[in-house]
This record gives sequence, structure tokens and C-alpha cells, in this order.
Amino acid sequence: MTLEELNTFVTTQANVSMEAYYWWCTAFMVIIHVGFLMYEVGATRMKNAVSSGVKNLLAFAFMIPTFWLFGWYIYLAFPAGFVPIDLEGYGTPWNVSMGPMLSDQATGVFWAAFTLFACTTASIFSGAVIERIRLSAFTFLAVILGSVVWITGASWGWHPDGWLVTGFGYHDVGAAGVVHTIAGWFAFGVLLNLGPRIGKYNEDGTANEIEGHSLVSSFIGLLMLIVGFFGFLGGCLIWAGSDLGGWINIYGAPATLSSFAFNTLMGLSGGMIGAFWYSKGNPFWMMSGGLAGIFICAGGLDIWYPGFAFIMGVVAGIVIIPANNWLHNTFKIDDCVGAVSVHGVSGILGVLVVGIFAAGYPASGDIPPTSFVGQLVGAITMIATGFIPGYVISLVMKSMGWLRVPDEVQMAGIDKAELGLEAYQKQ
Amino acid sequence: MNSFPGPENSWEGVDAYFTWADSPGILVFLSLVVAAICVGIIWSAARHESEVADKHK
Repeated sequence: MTLEELNTFVTTQANVSMEAYYWWCTAFMVIIHVGFLMYEVGATRMKNAVSSGVKNLLAFAFMIPTFWLFGWYIYLAFPAGFVPIDLEGYGTPWNVSMGPMLSDQATGVFWAAFTLFACTTASIFSGAVIERIRLSAFTFLAVILGSVVWITGASWGWHPDGWLVTGFGYHDVGAAGVVHTIAGWFAFGVLLNLGPRIGKYNEDGTANEIEGHSLVSSFIGLLMLIVGFFGFLGGCLIWAGSDLGGWINIYGAPATLSSFAFNTLMGLSGGMIGAFWYSKGNPFWMMSGGLAGIFICAGGLDIWYPGFAFIMGVVAGIVIIPANNWLHNTFKIDDCVGAVSVHGVSGILGVLVVGIFAAGYPASGDIPPTSFVGQLVGAITMIATGFIPGYVISLVMKSMGWLRVPDEVQMAGIDKAELGLEAYQKQ
Repeated sequence: MNSFPGPENSWEGVDAYFTWADSPGILVFLSLVVAAICVGIIWSAARHESEVADKHK
């Protein structure tokens, strides 16, 4: 084998391996949606179980074509803010790179991974609004969140030329801000306009617990989520194999998949244990705490010491419970799965802890090192990026009568009324 | 643009090769059809929901 042949062989194998890696990360991310679907269906009353699942399927189905139409373009075109940079057509659906092309082994698999990130944001939002949002309204809002809102935040805080990255050294390798904070606070904005389910609050302001119909389904769903998030977090690293550079984080700095493995598992464990202790053994909060433990570590998954990741996980597992109670008591929202707290609050913490405990880490090239100010600006930006469109668009939809299922239909059950189906046959 | 097929119906020199890749107009048209289907189905679903709501009043 000549040196030239060896070079061709190595480069080809690196590219094929890279394609295969993101292909399987994408497949694993589909499991996130299996998990969210099972979780939410289980948390739903029997009369709305089918429509709750259909809602999740719709978000998945509509996200794919819309992310192909404009989501991927937004990521590439808006790192500078609201004015697009000139890409000479790259990223638009009619560009040759958006289809089979022998010289481009990257666009398809990266587009697919980002599409599944987008689907994840929609699923985060989905659980908060079950049992009273119109399916069409949810689908529209899910597309706005997944194919416009979060990907704009990703263009600012993930893209190597994003203004948060180049101007502030924003560090968020596992998407604590660009996915979880944005999706959580988008959901909060919608919840303020959507209102609670009938029967959630009494006239004196006290709340009633509305039990789901299948704790088993919710349990399995929450565990499936954690499986799926391994695909999600794996997709957050960049395979620089063809450059003979190994792994780099999304900002171009050296990283390892091992660091992600250490900190994901230690954060998960800490979150479960913290929530177990604080909730006195509530299994719903244990599993949600596990997710929160991952998300509080997500911003710095590449740099934490695993013991510290565990401690942060414990903190997240505890904090999300009073945070959820405070949000409900203060704003009278009905966040059926605690999505605002688990994703929105943990996401903010995940961004800020990098600034507090990991300031000064260098990035690549001209990107400034991590700093508290940079992370604070990033956290505020991500909250606003999620909340403002979520609130404003849902307010407009509410004024059009296109947001909430009417009370009569809610009482009859959405499954029977709108889909003509029932989840379970009466014996 | 579309370079398929290569000389003498081979893969030589081929790069982008999906259907109609040599015709930007058709690619734009197909993209608009995809967008129209998405919008149309959401609108149709919203109309069905409104009809159901009217029946339950």
C-alpha cells in the first residue's frame, strides 16, 4: 500500500465511522420520544391517553420536514443574531447538499442529529400541556419551538461563530441552555396562556392532584428517556476523525466521550438520590431528579470531576421539587410533568454552574475562556429566547380561540370526542 | 448540480445525484409542496377540532 493509498484509506474509514456514529446517535435519540410518549400517556387520565400519545407522534412527524425546510438553515445562517449571513444557498432545502451527495458525508447525519434535538425540545414542552391543548395548536407550537426557537438559540450558543460563543465564551456542551432552558421556559410561556386542566385548582386557589392512569408506563418511559439521552449527549460531541484529531467539543476544544460517560452517570445518580431524599421516596420525582441531575451537569460534561457532578446532581434533584411547587403556587400553572422545573430550572443551573465552578477554561481559536459573566448572559438569553416567543405566540393563538380544548370536550375526553377512539376496551 | 449518471452510465465524476438535482426550479417547487402539505394538514386538523367543539356545545 502506497502512502497515498494509506491516506485515502484512513480518511475514508474516518468519514464512514463518523457517519455511522451520528447515525446511531440519532437512532438512540428516537428512544427519547418513546420515553416521553410512555411517560406522558401514563401521566394522562384514561380518557385522554390516546390523544396524549398522538400529540407526541405529531410533534415527531412534523418536526422532520420543517427542520429540513428551514430549521437547519436557521442554525447555519443566524450565528450573528437576527441578520442572516450569506451561505450561498447552503442549508436551504433546494441546495444539493440537502440530499444524496458523494462528496458530503456530514450534512445528512448532522441534520438528522439536530432534527432529533429539535424533536426533544418539542417533547419537553409536550408533557407540560397534556389533556387540554388542541392537537393542531400543539403541533404548530412544537414546530415553532423545534424548527425556529431552539435552533436560533443553538445558532447563538452552539455554532462556533455564534455571538454568545465568540463574544462571551459561552460554554454549554450538553445543551443545558440551548435545549433544556429554552424548551422549559417556552413551555412556561405557553402554560400561562393555556390555563390549567378543569379541576386542577379550586376556587380558593388550592390545587388538586390529578392522577395519571399508569404509573408503570410512566416509570418505563422515564427510564427510556435516560437511555435516549445517551444518544443525545453522544451527538453533542464532534468526531474530528478525518482531521486525525479525535473528539472535540462543539466549541472545538479537546474532549473525550469518557468524560461525558463519567459525568452523565454520576449526575444521574446524584439527581435520583437527592430527589429520593427530599421527596421522601416519591418515584416520579426520583426519575425526574435523575434527569435534572444530568441537565445540571450538561453545560460542562466535558470538564467536571465526577464526584462534583454527583454533588451537583443531588442539588438538582432537591431543587426541582420546591421550584416546581413555587411555580405552581405563584403562577397557578398546571405543568403536569414538572417540565418547567426539571428542564427550565435545571437548565439555568447547568449554564450558571459552569461560570461559577469552571471559569477560565480555554476554548479553541479566538473564543474567549469560560466566565461567570458569559454564562450569566447566556442563561438570560436562553430564558428570553424560550419564554418570549412561547408567551407571545400562545397569547395570539388564545385570542384566536386556537389554543385550548373547550371545557365540554375536556370533560367528555379528547380521545372519544376528537379521535373516536378509547385507549382501553370496557370489559 | 446533478452529475448523475457519469460518462457511459457510470459513477465516474458523480457527486450530487438525487432526482432533479440539476433543476433548481423543481427543487424549490417540491420544497414548497412539502411546506404546503404541513400547513394544510395542521389547518385541516384545526378545522376538525372546531367542528368537534361545536358538536359538544
